[in-house]
Amino acid sequence: MSEHTLSWLRGRWGRWGLFLAAAVVALAVGLHVARHGWSWDDNRKASAALLAVQLPDASGQVQRLDQWRGRVLVVNFWATWCVPCREEMPQFIRAQAEDGGKGLQFVGIAVDSADKVQKFSKDIGLNYPTLVGGLGAIELSRDLGNRLMALPFTIVVDRDGRVVHTQLGPLKPDKLHAIVDPLLAAG
Amino acid sequence: MTAAAAAAGLPSGEPKLLPPEEVFRFSARVLDPRTLEARFEVMEGYYLYRDKLAFTVQPDVGAGKPELPQGQRHHDEFFGDVETYRGRVVVKVPLAAARPGQQLTVRAESQGCADAGICYPPTVQEVKVKVPAAGAGPGPVVDAPRKKGLFD
Repeated sequence: MSEHTLSWLRGRWGRWGLFLAAAVVALAVGLHVARHGWSWDDNRKASAALLAVQLPDASGQVQRLDQWRGRVLVVNFWATWCVPCREEMPQFIRAQAEDGGKGLQFVGIAVDSADKVQKFSKDIGLNYPTLVGGLGAIELSRDLGNRLMALPFTIVVDRDGRVVHTQLGPLKPDKLHAIVDPLLAAG
Repeated sequence: MTAAAAAAGLPSGEPKLLPPEEVFRFSARVLDPRTLEARFEVMEGYYLYRDKLAFTVQPDVGAGKPELPQGQRHHDEFFGDVETYRGRVVVKVPLAAARPGQQLTVRAESQGCADAGICYPPTVQEVKVKVPAAGAGPGPVVDAPRKKGLFD
């Protein structure tokens, strides 16, 4: 990603700059991670920073990710302009419906505008919350290992708030269950 | 798998992917004082969205509407009909007030995806090209730098 692109992103999405700045500062560990690899301590810090993220939902209400602490959290970065993202969301909806009672919680972070997110969420019958970060939200995912800042990017966090899986590209149903089922059972 | 995930021993499964500047290679040249030619070479397995291409030219030399070639048509359930480009894309941009010998900065914004199932955010690439003298033939093709990301 070039410097130009970054400044373009920042210029256009400066509106959420405050929210993001706080998170980005907290996630400065990401830089360290990109250069030096992760240690257990880095994982703990990055996980804590992820859970401290606060962004508005599609209706403008600010939500903190740590409100779902204690559940098995699947954080999915997506956008309406990303076809592979849209294609995998129905299976997330199914998993949320089937396993929500066992403690599974999906949360979307849309790299998009609130109006498009609202319309698409309604069209698809989204049954889990999605926060709206604009293009600047991609920087959050970068700090968690998404170096290409591409979508979809999905992070699984266990009940203790540890990042246990990150994935760029679609997360297939079999793989999703292989990751989350033991975490749900551990609850 | 990202370096971070790999180093953490985190189970991760990602297709091997390249940065957008590598797969959507931008270049430009000035054909004559009235015409800028912008090109993308799209690597196999990747595609660009036609309606997401945008160009700006600095200083203001009266750049007109880019002549975008027709792409492959697809129906998108959410956005309706969309067109995509694969392979080489050549776009002509008319210039109303460029002077021979003038240096122009051309910025191209693009957005595309990989068949492997990921999409890149909008990407901006930039080249500096020189306007040739009238009748001197096209100026040289200038490739956008394939610079590494800020955090490499």
